[in-house]
Amino acid sequence: MGTLLKRHRWIAPVALLTPGILWLLVFYLYPAVQMFQSSLWSGSLEKGFEFSFSNYTNYTEGLAEYAPIYLRSIMYAGAATVLTALFAYPLAYTIAFKGGRYKNLLLFLVVAPFFTSFLLRTISWKILLGDESPILQVIHLVPFVPEDFRLLATPIAVISGITYGFLPFMTLPVYVALEKVDIRLVEAARDLYAGPWRPGGAIAGFIVGGGLATVLGIAFGWEWLLTGIAGAIAGTAIGWLFISESFIRVTLPLSLPGVFAGSLLTFIPAIGDYVNAEMLGNPDTMMIGNVIQNKFLTQNDYPAAAALSFMLMAGVLVVVAIYARILGTEELSASAGRL
Amino acid sequence: MDRETLTTTPITRRRLLAGGALTGVAVFLAACGTKGTAATPAATAAPAASATPGASTAPVESASAAAVQTPSAEVNWANWTYYMDVDENDANVFPSLVKFTDKYGTKVNYSEIINDNEEFFGTIQPALQGGADTGWDVVTLTDWMAAKLIRLGWVETMDAANMPNFTANLVDTYKGVDWDADGSKHAPWQSGMTGLGFDPAKTGDITSLASLFTPDVRWKGKVDLLSEMRDAIGLTMLKLGLDPAKPTREACDAAVAELMKARDAKIVRAFKGNEYAEDLKAGNVVLAMAWSGDMIQVLTEKPGLKFAVPSEGGMLWTDNNLIPKGAAHKYTAELLIDWYYQPEIAAMLTAYVNYVSPVKGTAEILKAADPEMANNPLIFPPADVQAKLHIFGGLTEEDEQYFNQQFAKVTGKG
Repeated sequence: MGTLLKRHRWIAPVALLTPGILWLLVFYLYPAVQMFQSSLWSGSLEKGFEFSFSNYTNYTEGLAEYAPIYLRSIMYAGAATVLTALFAYPLAYTIAFKGGRYKNLLLFLVVAPFFTSFLLRTISWKILLGDESPILQVIHLVPFVPEDFRLLATPIAVISGITYGFLPFMTLPVYVALEKVDIRLVEAARDLYAGPWRPGGAIAGFIVGGGLATVLGIAFGWEWLLTGIAGAIAGTAIGWLFISESFIRVTLPLSLPGVFAGSLLTFIPAIGDYVNAEMLGNPDTMMIGNVIQNKFLTQNDYPAAAALSFMLMAGVLVVVAIYARILGTEELSASAGRL
Repeated sequence: MDRETLTTTPITRRRLLAGGALTGVAVFLAACGTKGTAATPAATAAPAASATPGASTAPVESASAAAVQTPSAEVNWANWTYYMDVDENDANVFPSLVKFTDKYGTKVNYSEIINDNEEFFGTIQPALQGGADTGWDVVTLTDWMAAKLIRLGWVETMDAANMPNFTANLVDTYKGVDWDADGSKHAPWQSGMTGLGFDPAKTGDITSLASLFTPDVRWKGKVDLLSEMRDAIGLTMLKLGLDPAKPTREACDAAVAELMKARDAKIVRAFKGNEYAEDLKAGNVVLAMAWSGDMIQVLTEKPGLKFAVPSEGGMLWTDNNLIPKGAAHKYTAELLIDWYYQPEIAAMLTAYVNYVSPVKGTAEILKAADPEMANNPLIFPPADVQAKLHIFGGLTEEDEQYFNQQFAKVTGKG
């Protein structure tokens, strides 16, 4: 056996690759090809479908009609990705640098929600955000909150739901990246007079906080000027007080690959998600996944649904390809190993 | 039937979206494998067969039609969840089916695997299209899906000679539907009404569908409409004074425009399947389009709520038993369908599932056993309510697509 493997060095890699490749061929490539084929059908379920390249109009028409919904999906998934990054980074930072002997426990807690079904977790959000839930009762105690203010069936609920659902996908890669940061580099930076980052931190905080709050304000249909100012103030304070130069010059650059990997792991599934929009949203918050699901299951319009899915998939693939070119896939696989 | 059984009836038939979302994936895959032309029967029949072990081993009595027909050893039935009377001590024992087995010696492989008409259709469609046995002898599907299967020619004609109870005891309202004029291809299983569910403490008494379209501060933003196209469009047509029995495209456009107005006026919170019941219970909505069967269940948990068939009228929907084309045990399936047209058996079922029974004499039997239930207008709607109920008319495939497409625009999914 040993000599056989030595003589035929190609056997081992081929044998190792075969299961994975077969799996992908059967469960990814074959459906993808079939989906592409059905996206060029015309006809109906009862009369039968016919394939023709002239049915490329399924794509053009789909894009023309659903461009706003694609845009909304990108916006929601993008907002959720930024929010997961904002929540996950401090979380991962704390676990990596301050976790001490509780590191593994804390990491376990990050993935613990995965022991419950995704649907159940989304349903519990409905209970948490319900109009008569304790959370809402507290919010209604705040002055100036309108009488009919609600969270459920709003974009906030949808984006929050997505953010929550994909938080671990961001936390783990960021943690992996942060944990690899050599603490001696940070100490060296401090020795070289890297102190609090002022006024850079305040300026950066002002821009990031203000910008983000404004965008979210617009997305949610709030008073964006007001939210923008509030965000800018909060960002400035955080930047002034907490951001050190060693973080900006050493830790952050070294951890960015983790953030990028996490962004992809969050953004890709988030953009196709339809459960959050279905359960936590309203008719004005439907995402492209909801449209595709409805076309497939209710309207039985397989060609249009396939064309829409294919455009979504192709769009996501292009993003991944660009990412892979720019940053390489090392971090992605490293974090996948952690998962 | 005692109160306890009534209150412990767990969940209504139209299950959570949760199930639908998961099974959606399965259908998505099934849909990917759908071709316009013939699908390979061998491959497509396999999943159905594995779901019903032994389907192929039992005798095929339709092949020996000339001889005296005998019940087969097994019969396979696909039904909706929580749609059968259950033994109080063992959730896997269905007393009315046990009686059937006692009489005919047939083992009924009863599976509550249907969560959604479309989704289940996706699982049997490849086999039917390829001319193969689906593995099921009886399937229970809602009117419009039954109509679709019949339209496609995928349903066996039932032999009335084998079904004396069905012939004698079917309530007249159910006869003469336009998609199965002679009634030989479907047998109503249970019905329900679609009307208004509301919280009178918050909304006051509501009798008219117009409330759904009025931006009143008491319920603005706290209204759920049904995501089931025929219910939402049907009720809206009634509000507009149109007849849901004649669903034309013009009527559809008018209803869609009306729904769009309610949505744009921010009256409507969301379009829901039977999740609206949860919303009503949690106080997220105070007014909703509602199904009578759900409301019976919800009322046990939040007695302050009310269900009303609106003054403009309500919708009546029915789930029907069908024998899919090529079923291996057609004769036994006929016996089984007929079994539930005996008033005593129908009463056992009604006492448990709380839906409207299409079987004559059910109320009389229940009156003795459980007068309170027999007087429940949600289970036995009085004549004046029955007169207000409408059945959504049949749609051609093109019209059905048109309706679904237009309705998807209202729900934000199209």
